[in-house]
Amino acid sequence: MEATHKYAFFLGCIAPNRYPGIESSAIKTSRKLGIELVDLKGASCCPAPGAFGSIDLNVWYAMAARNVVLAEQMKTDIALICNGCYKSIWEVNHKLKKNKDLRDAVNEVLKEIDMEFKGTVNVYHLAELLFDPKICGVEKIRASVTNPLKGTRIAVHYGCHLLKPRKERTWVAPGIGETENPMWMEEMVAALGAEPVQYRNKMQCCGAGGGVRGYDIVHSLDITNEKMINLMEVKADALTEVCPFCQLQFDRGQIEIQEKFGVTYGLPVLHYNELLGLAQGMSPQELGLDLHGISCEPFLQKVL
Amino acid sequence: MEAKKEAPVKQEVKKQAAPAPKQAPAAATVGGKKEQPRIGVFICHCGTNIAGSIDIKEVEAYAKTIPNVAHADNYQYICSTPGQKKITDAIKEHKLTGTVVAACSPRLHEPTFRTATKEGGLNQFRFEMANIREQNSWVHMHDPEGATAKAKDAIRIAVAKASLLQDLTPKTVPVERAALVVGAGVAGMQAALDLAAAGIKTYLVEKSPSIGGRMSQLDKTFPTLDCSQCILTPKMVDVGRSPNIELMTYSDVEAVEGYIGNFDVTIRKKAHGVLTMPEAEAKGISGGGCNGCGDCEPVCPVIKPNEFEMGMKPRKAIYIYHPQVVPLLYTIDWDSCIKCGLCVTACGDKKAIDLEQKDEFVKIKVGTAILAIGFDLFPVENKKEWGYKRFENVITSLEFERLICASGPTSGHLIRPSDGETPKRVAFVLCAGSRDNTGIGKPYCSRFCCMYSLKHAHQIYEKIPGVQSYLFYMDIRSFGKMYEEFYYRIQDEGAKFIRGRVANILEDPATKNLHVYTDDTLLNRPVDMEVDLVVLASAVEPSWDTTRTRKLFGVSCSMDGWLLEAHPKLNPCGTTTAGVFLAGVCQGPKDIPDAVASAEGAASAASIPIHKGEVELEPYFAQCIEEKCAGCGMCVNLCPFTALALVEKDGRQVMEVTEAKCKGCGTCGGFCPGGAIWMNHFATPQIVAQIDAFLLGGEQ
Repeated sequence: MEATHKYAFFLGCIAPNRYPGIESSAIKTSRKLGIELVDLKGASCCPAPGAFGSIDLNVWYAMAARNVVLAEQMKTDIALICNGCYKSIWEVNHKLKKNKDLRDAVNEVLKEIDMEFKGTVNVYHLAELLFDPKICGVEKIRASVTNPLKGTRIAVHYGCHLLKPRKERTWVAPGIGETENPMWMEEMVAALGAEPVQYRNKMQCCGAGGGVRGYDIVHSLDITNEKMINLMEVKADALTEVCPFCQLQFDRGQIEIQEKFGVTYGLPVLHYNELLGLAQGMSPQELGLDLHGISCEPFLQKVL
Repeated sequence: MEAKKEAPVKQEVKKQAAPAPKQAPAAATVGGKKEQPRIGVFICHCGTNIAGSIDIKEVEAYAKTIPNVAHADNYQYICSTPGQKKITDAIKEHKLTGTVVAACSPRLHEPTFRTATKEGGLNQFRFEMANIREQNSWVHMHDPEGATAKAKDAIRIAVAKASLLQDLTPKTVPVERAALVVGAGVAGMQAALDLAAAGIKTYLVEKSPSIGGRMSQLDKTFPTLDCSQCILTPKMVDVGRSPNIELMTYSDVEAVEGYIGNFDVTIRKKAHGVLTMPEAEAKGISGGGCNGCGDCEPVCPVIKPNEFEMGMKPRKAIYIYHPQVVPLLYTIDWDSCIKCGLCVTACGDKKAIDLEQKDEFVKIKVGTAILAIGFDLFPVENKKEWGYKRFENVITSLEFERLICASGPTSGHLIRPSDGETPKRVAFVLCAGSRDNTGIGKPYCSRFCCMYSLKHAHQIYEKIPGVQSYLFYMDIRSFGKMYEEFYYRIQDEGAKFIRGRVANILEDPATKNLHVYTDDTLLNRPVDMEVDLVVLASAVEPSWDTTRTRKLFGVSCSMDGWLLEAHPKLNPCGTTTAGVFLAGVCQGPKDIPDAVASAEGAASAASIPIHKGEVELEPYFAQCIEEKCAGCGMCVNLCPFTALALVEKDGRQVMEVTEAKCKGCGTCGGFCPGGAIWMNHFATPQIVAQIDAFLLGGEQ
């Protein structure tokens, strides 16, 4: 299919380093849906909103602004695949556009590397673009599926930074802004032929964000564990999300839960782009699913 | 002019700057003769309210220097009897042509000083007020110099206008001896009963098929625990019986024309599809018409949710909401009726059912109108975090009322909708959508939810042995008579109060039990409370038809959508449209006693013009200067009160004002490209003189 929408692809850190399949599937599946993701050369860490934002906001603003300026220089809007990156890049872009004092302060810093934030590009999460009927839409996703994920029950984790704080988010695509019981990712899962399942406390945090994982791993896993109990209750075959950090917490976290709490769950965790890749016929090797901490085999047996 | 340039801030400068106008403004004319204005200025201390920050002596001395001022005086309280006497005496003694009182807001004492001016022998509209309290001493209490300078300005401006004021005569119009009440809930019924008792023919219009409103849906009332129906039914019967009340149920106000004293109202009587006995008689069906026997209902094949029972009980396409309805008359739901005709057969000789009946339009004429159009529940499902309409065992308080009511769908047995079991742990979530600044709920307090939730807690202790209730609250607002005592009583009955706004409610998929999450802000710890049933004390909002109805009557609403009273404290029943009054919750959330009290207030206010027989209108009308009017008609469309029209005079189009409808807003006068509209009491020369007096210090 001819690519009609072009975006500078902001990779973030966790996807390329830990789950390269998310990166490859994002590029390949999007191309089939008319979205071209081009390299955003020279991009740094977003930087992580919890780790940087909680310590020094000015560093957070400046680093995120630098990433935005790279896209401004390409005259291209940014697409990204991680809720943490979304929080940093989208929110800083939004704040700098609205607040002149902040913009001036950040530009003071950027001047040292001959850069200036102008506020000329927008930032999108790829999931948002996939759902937006003006860009892609659920019907187009459904039409692109060659290997429907029939007979599987998939639970959705939205992640916090994507949707909240609601008052600050300004969604373009209709239906995304709901924070208490959103259903649009379920629609996208259903478009792949799978059955989306609801579970208790769907909107609870994965446990990783806001620096919790880095600060207090046991507390962080405790939150994840509660989430896992609720997921096992509804007998899901897999969990999907749109945030590599959430993916890390659920995937590696299950191993850590096993070590620390002695409970085994074995629930495969796949980024929506990985699921979309499978449904569009990409192989598990292409998607690097063997790099996941929790084996995806039981799930793959159902769909391949 | 030069002096004024250096005017501001420092006192020495100002003393020089306080400009003495160089030339007197043009004199007003009386009977074609020029008259040299002689204005009296009276400066009020208002105790220390004004004198505390304004130098009265200095202001008085200045006033005496203003051209046209023939007399200036000051007094502790000019609104007092001796204060007013100063005005009446001065008018005679100094042969004044106009008066200026520098005191509070005209909203407070303009009528007082007008009367004093009139008693002194002048036309009452020869009076002008300078507000040196609300708009000066109160807001500038820490800047006495600035306040004193500002008071001088205000008085100079008022004198400029007073010098040009003209005699005006208030207009009187006769008042139709009939009133309209829209909405037959407890407030509307009370208002209608009061009006009828005062001998006034009253049309009571209700949009639904029966009267009683929200109160008839309630089981018991707080804090007395009276059965709601038991205390309401006698009123409903009285309404049905009163010879002075013409009850029009299942009807909407379709159009309103006219003005106070003379409203022409068109009522749409929606087709019941069923004839009343008098209607049948009129059609020559002797002994026919609906007697409420209910023979039609069992044969009807269409089943729909009963709105009165909050959809928890079925009704047919031909229905009454419940057995005690007033009037006892069946209604056909045309959206659901398949016109099979089975009901017509069942009705037999009574021939009450007319499946081809059409809406009728009735025109009535009334002198005053009361809006009592009530409220709806806020759609609490919009607060997704509480799961209403997602989790079966989360219900609203109005659903609770129906479930706990002996005449309700479960004959008074409170059950869980998911399995019909009796709940043993019940959570009541207060402020469910009230006091909510997220933009999803309502920012205001809905005022009666605290109290009915306390009552709900009491009711479950009364009915379910071993039950435990949890009230999640922000504050308990038990403000009324015997309310606080009721609160203590419920505490003693064992209800648990947890202070914290509920963050989230989650359903256990296996048991359908609910987990209520909040922070207990008194104990400073998170709460996860498992309960069998959650009752959301949903916020209230203006009823769905409010916007359409209020626009028909030209009534405004406040930011939150409730109808706007003329003054929140001193005129809570009136509106800015003369002759239209508000009763009950449509003006803002009220419990039953407050709604009834406001209804009685509205009825009293609405009966005054009718008993007087005529109303006096302030003569601030627009006047068309016909020789200047080009008949362009732009003003006609601009007028928000439809007071203007184009008429043919001497072979050309000119604008004509219906004075009784004109509010004197000045929209037309400000716009008229030909300067052909004269606004009485706010005429262009008067306003220009005021502006000049301010900018030029009185120079013309």
